[in-house]
Amino acid sequence: MFWGLPQHLLWQSPHLLKRRQYFMDKPTSTSAQVRLRLERYIRTFAGIVIGVFLLWRVYNVIVLQHNFGADTWVRFGLAGLILGGMYALIAIGYTLVYGIMFMINFAHGEVMMLGAFGGFFTFEALRFIHAPTLANPELNFLNAHPFVSVLLAFLVGISVSATTGYFLERIAYRPLRKAPRLILLITAIGASIFLQNLAMLLFGPQRKNVVNPDILDRGAGWILKVSGNDVLISYTGIFSLVLSTLLMIGLYNLVQRTKLGRAMRAVASDRNTASLMGVDVDSVISKTFMISGALAGAAGVMWDIHMGLVNHYTGFLPGIKAFTAAVMGGIGNIPGAMLGGMLLGVIEAIGPAALGIDFQLKDVIAFSILVLVLIVRPSGILGEKLSEEKL
Amino acid sequence: MRSSAVDKGLRTGVVFGIIIVTMFLIGFTVTGAELVGKILGTPSSSPSLLFFSIFMILVGAWAGASASARPLVEVDTWKRALTTGVWAGAMSGLFSAVIGFLFGELISNKIDPRTYLPSVSPESIKMFLFNQTPLTGSLILFSMLTVSGLAAAALSFFVRNNDSVKSSKRKASESVWSVIRSQRVSNVVQNKYTRYGSLLAFAILLIILPRVWGGYWNYVLGTVGIYIILGLGINIITGWAGQLVIGYVAFFAVGAYTFALLTAPEPHHLMMNFWIALGLGVLAAGISGLLIGLPILNLRGDYLAIVTLGFAEIIRILLKSDLMTAYTAGPRGIRDIAGPTIFGKPFNSDVDFMYLIIIAVLVVTFLANRLQNSRTGKAWYAINLDETVARATGINTFASKLLALSLSAAVAGLAGVLFASRNQFTGPDDHALMVSINVLCLVIVGGIGNIPGIFLGAFVLKGLPEVLRETESYRLLIFGVLLIVMMRLRPEGFLPAKRPELEKPAVQNLPGKEG
Repeated sequence: MFWGLPQHLLWQSPHLLKRRQYFMDKPTSTSAQVRLRLERYIRTFAGIVIGVFLLWRVYNVIVLQHNFGADTWVRFGLAGLILGGMYALIAIGYTLVYGIMFMINFAHGEVMMLGAFGGFFTFEALRFIHAPTLANPELNFLNAHPFVSVLLAFLVGISVSATTGYFLERIAYRPLRKAPRLILLITAIGASIFLQNLAMLLFGPQRKNVVNPDILDRGAGWILKVSGNDVLISYTGIFSLVLSTLLMIGLYNLVQRTKLGRAMRAVASDRNTASLMGVDVDSVISKTFMISGALAGAAGVMWDIHMGLVNHYTGFLPGIKAFTAAVMGGIGNIPGAMLGGMLLGVIEAIGPAALGIDFQLKDVIAFSILVLVLIVRPSGILGEKLSEEKL
Repeated sequence: MRSSAVDKGLRTGVVFGIIIVTMFLIGFTVTGAELVGKILGTPSSSPSLLFFSIFMILVGAWAGASASARPLVEVDTWKRALTTGVWAGAMSGLFSAVIGFLFGELISNKIDPRTYLPSVSPESIKMFLFNQTPLTGSLILFSMLTVSGLAAAALSFFVRNNDSVKSSKRKASESVWSVIRSQRVSNVVQNKYTRYGSLLAFAILLIILPRVWGGYWNYVLGTVGIYIILGLGINIITGWAGQLVIGYVAFFAVGAYTFALLTAPEPHHLMMNFWIALGLGVLAAGISGLLIGLPILNLRGDYLAIVTLGFAEIIRILLKSDLMTAYTAGPRGIRDIAGPTIFGKPFNSDVDFMYLIIIAVLVVTFLANRLQNSRTGKAWYAINLDETVARATGINTFASKLLALSLSAAVAGLAGVLFASRNQFTGPDDHALMVSINVLCLVIVGGIGNIPGIFLGAFVLKGLPEVLRETESYRLLIFGVLLIVMMRLRPEGFLPAKRPELEKPAVQNLPGKEG
């Protein structure tokens, strides 16, 4: 009903067209101005009230009740940063696709999940390959060459996810390039359901333990002394954090410095003009999906290595949360997505303790943040970067 | 250089080969054989080799037929059709033969693939290889797919290009249409008394049937009825006003839990009357819709989808958490929810409930129909088409959307109340996100914005899976595919909405824009 209907007829009506143009610009009538200003005041006021309440609550819990020492906060903050790195990588994918196609790629979390499965199966396969040395005849490839193994896992995970992203765009989204956005969104939901259930039927619903190489054991790491207590900085966590930071820097340079990045920005700001300037829009969109898929795949393998559990549902919540992060940072804005992801990870890790609520509710915090951001500052922290016509 | 026919055949063959391999890996080959057996009407439930062969032949035939479909550019010749068909069949056959051979070798070496691929049981592998050795079995599979592809290509070419078949098909459809369009039929259909008569017959049917067909069908059709109500509800905001709501289940949960807490003995012991609690449940759901809509509906459309999704998850997690256990009975759920009463007498057998649901469906349908043709409905339609234009024509878009959201939330609340009351139980798991995705699917598949379409969608998506129990575990997978395919081929659904053309086509050569 949104489509195939005499939409174009409405457009062609000259007086409506004129009035539409009039309304597209800033509201000039005083009542509309007053309403907008009022709305902004209400949003700011709500933001201040909520902010004061949260600060008061955090102050109460941290300073007055003093349940946790400084070491706990360091531990939480570190866990949040590590998780936030993964969220940021996924969020970049959302933001890239949203900027270019103006659609929420709902299946993005599932792309990440498939990448995680790619990494998991690589580790499993390498575990079965014998690579005996003189010292240890029972050694398998995974432990004999851990760095090669991890590299291979990342290669496999990234290529699985990038391929999925490519075919997703090719099969599901490309035929709908000119369709209304709702149709694209529903298609994306369909793709998400399909991929999730395919993974469940293929690999079974139970959670799988990812066996890391021994030197990347999840319990191993440096010990940091904070206020007399030990804080474990695990190798897997630091590895994930460093790698996600490197990938983000790489992506930022790719978008800002390379020809492909320039083409992507051009398509994002105005698809028609870009194609007139000789940009192959289809291939740019394909490549965007592959890049965002690759980042999600890297996040998936990090999830394997750091979290150690993977099943078909792995991608769902991180996917939604990463979208939250993208909205929080300002959708269409790549540094915004990075910042949003990191922030969301930290808030989610610290939040339950800081607000003095149950740890079961950490997912609630993420979603509440989404609602709060949309109430208080709908364009995100760093502001949206979307082309004029799309707004 | 390969000819384009071979190329086309190979490409289709690869696609179908991947489909067959995927079906094998998720165990659908066994289910497909069972389905064939059920459709052919054999009493034995165990799938036999015969059914499996029929299933594979059907798949191969589909591959051949779709590969040899009428080409866009080239001439449609026998040679081309047969080449494409045979190559498509052979390519898909190659894929399945290789995978069958590999897995056959695996199990003959006593390696169980189920550690990593739990759906691939040794039985399904044996069936895939026709109980033969890996080599013979895969050769049989290969030749079977090739031959069926070839045969289907020949058949489809014959049907397409044979004049007598074509003309008889045309004649048949013409005669059917001429009967339908004839004066006599339209006289009967448009006659006032016939219409009243059929309505009466329908009403009597609705009264009698729940008493006749037993508890199982009352349960199945009751579920269908609840989903019809949900579909009508989400249709208000998504179908008419054009604002996608993903977490629709949140409002369902609000209605169900409000009702349950008000009427159940635990945890609050309020034990309220059914009808009062029903009203309060609907009201609570409507208010929650209003509250969600207030900050969001002024923003871009996608945000409503995501925020409601988040809201649904928040509600589910909260209901499950220990924090709320004292108030909402936590993950255990609420038991002994009251059934409806009429003048103090209980009214809660399955037949009574079926009546209640039928009445609710009728009432909601009536209201929806009135709304659709009202001024508000037209305002929603305008917002759906173009929000800026709608605003320019003097519609308060924000208020209209808010109204739509709270109305559809209230309807979801009604469905939740009925659901909770019928099951006499409600728990957090009744309100998983899947419910809202099902509802969205049924509305889209049936025909978004169209009330009969929603009925059709609910019967197809909630009724059929109950009947075809075998496909239970594949339901969501099929949903996903269905959504993608529907959006691509028929985005307006099976029964598309008909809207009056509100404006005549504009005349060309309009006067130019003024300064």
